[in-house]
Amino acid sequence: MNTEALKDLLYKMADDQLILGHRNSEWTGFGPLLEEDIAFSSMAQDKVGQSWQLYKILNDLGESDPDTVAFMRNADQFHNCQLVELPNGEYDFSLIRHFLFDTAELIRFTMLANSSYEPLALLAKKIKGEIKYHKMHADIWIKQLGSATEESIERLQESFNIAFPYALGIFEPSQMEEEIINEGLFEGEEKLKAAWLAKVSEIIDKTSLTLPEASLQTPVYGGRYGTHTDNLQPLLDEMSEVFKMDPAADW
Amino acid sequence: MALDSLDPRVNRLDISEDSLSTLVAKGNLDQFETYEAFVQVKDSKPFEHVGPVHAPNEEMAFLFAKEQYSRRGMFCNALCVIKTENIKASHFTDNGQDVYDTLHTEASGEEKESFELFHLMKRGKQHKYAGHVMARDYDDALAAAKTLYQGVKPVFNIWVVKSEDILSTDEEDRDIWETLKEKQYREAIDYRAQDKIKAFKEAQSAQA
Repeated sequence: MNTEALKDLLYKMADDQLILGHRNSEWTGFGPLLEEDIAFSSMAQDKVGQSWQLYKILNDLGESDPDTVAFMRNADQFHNCQLVELPNGEYDFSLIRHFLFDTAELIRFTMLANSSYEPLALLAKKIKGEIKYHKMHADIWIKQLGSATEESIERLQESFNIAFPYALGIFEPSQMEEEIINEGLFEGEEKLKAAWLAKVSEIIDKTSLTLPEASLQTPVYGGRYGTHTDNLQPLLDEMSEVFKMDPAADW
Repeated sequence: MALDSLDPRVNRLDISEDSLSTLVAKGNLDQFETYEAFVQVKDSKPFEHVGPVHAPNEEMAFLFAKEQYSRRGMFCNALCVIKTENIKASHFTDNGQDVYDTLHTEASGEEKESFELFHLMKRGKQHKYAGHVMARDYDDALAAAKTLYQGVKPVFNIWVVKSEDILSTDEEDRDIWETLKEKQYREAIDYRAQDKIKAFKEAQSAQA
C-alpha cells in the first residue's frame, strides 16, 4: 500500500472537517433561530468527531496524536480547502457553504465505503448517517430559502456566486491522485466533482436560484498544500487557545 | 463605545454599546403554522406525541422537530410530523370512562380512505399510536376504531389523522440518528474558565 498517498487523502479530509466544524461551532448561541442554533452546533460536533477519527487513523499510520495534529500546526501545514476556512459571514453564506460542502461529503464517504483501505471503509460506513442528515438539513433549507422571498433568493444567490469557485477547490487534485485511484483508496476528485455537480443541480433546480456556470469559473486551489487565506491562522489561534494553556491537561 | 466581551465572536461583531438601548420595535409577527411531532424510540415501540413546532411547511417542520425533540444514539428510531389542523380530536372523558363507550355510531364499512389513530391512555401523558383503519371520514374512522382498538384499559381521548397527512422518516433514512460513540473530545472539564471570567470582571470594574 502507498502510505504517503493514503496520508495525503486522510489529511485533507480530516482538516476540512475540523475547520468547518470549528466554523459551524461559531454559530452556537448566534443562530438565526433556536433550531438552527442547535443544528449548527450539533453538526459542528459531528464534524470535529469525524476529523478526530481520521486523525486517529493517521496516528496509527505513524503521525502524531490527534490533539497535537489538530492544535499544534500552523496554517501553512493545513490541507483543508479554502472554502471551509472562510468566515461564517451572514447566515446565507454559512448555509450555502454547508450545502455545497456536505453534498460533496456525502458522495465522498459513500464512495469511501468501498475503499481498499479497510479502516477508512469502516469509518465511512459508521458516519454515513451523520453526513446524510447534514445533507438533508442543507437541502431542505436551500429549497425553502431558495424560493421563499425576493430577499432570501437574492442573498442566497449572491453568497452562492461567491462560494462557488471556492467549492470547486474542494476537488483540487492530489499530487498523488493517480496512486490514490490506482490503489483503490478513493475513486478520485474528478469523479467526485462530476457527481457533486449533478447533485447540486438537482436541488438548485427546485429553487429560484441559478447554478453558476462551472466551466467559466476558476477553482480556488492551493488549500490542499498549505496555501490559505488570512482567515485560517486567527481561527487556529482561537481554536487552540485552550489546548495551548495546558497541553498536558487530561480531558 | 464598542461592546467588550470575553467571547471573541461578540467582539468581532463590533456592536456599539449605544445600539443596544435603541432596539427598534418589531411589527406584528407572522406566525408559522403549527405541526405536531411524534417520536418512535425504537422499532418495537409505538410513535408517541412529543410536542408542537412552528414551521412554514411540512419538511421544515420535520427538521425543526428533529432538532428539538429527538436525540441520537439509542433515543430515536423514527420521527413524524402532522399539521395540527389535520388532527381531529374526540372529546375527553375522565374518571375511568372509556371514550369509545360514548361513541354510538355504527361504522359504515366503506373503505374509502386510510386513517391513523392515537390514544391518550392517561391524563397528563402523551398520545400514542394505536392503529390504522379504513373508513369514509374522520367520524367513521372513530366508529371503525371502536371495533378494532377498544381494549380493557379506558382511552380518554383519541386523535384521528389521514395517513396521507403524515410526513414520516423514510425507512432508508433511519440511520440519521446513528452517531459515533466516542464523545470525550466534547468534554471541557479541564478548562478552568472561572479565573478568566474573574480577571475580566475586575478589569471592567477598574475601567468604570
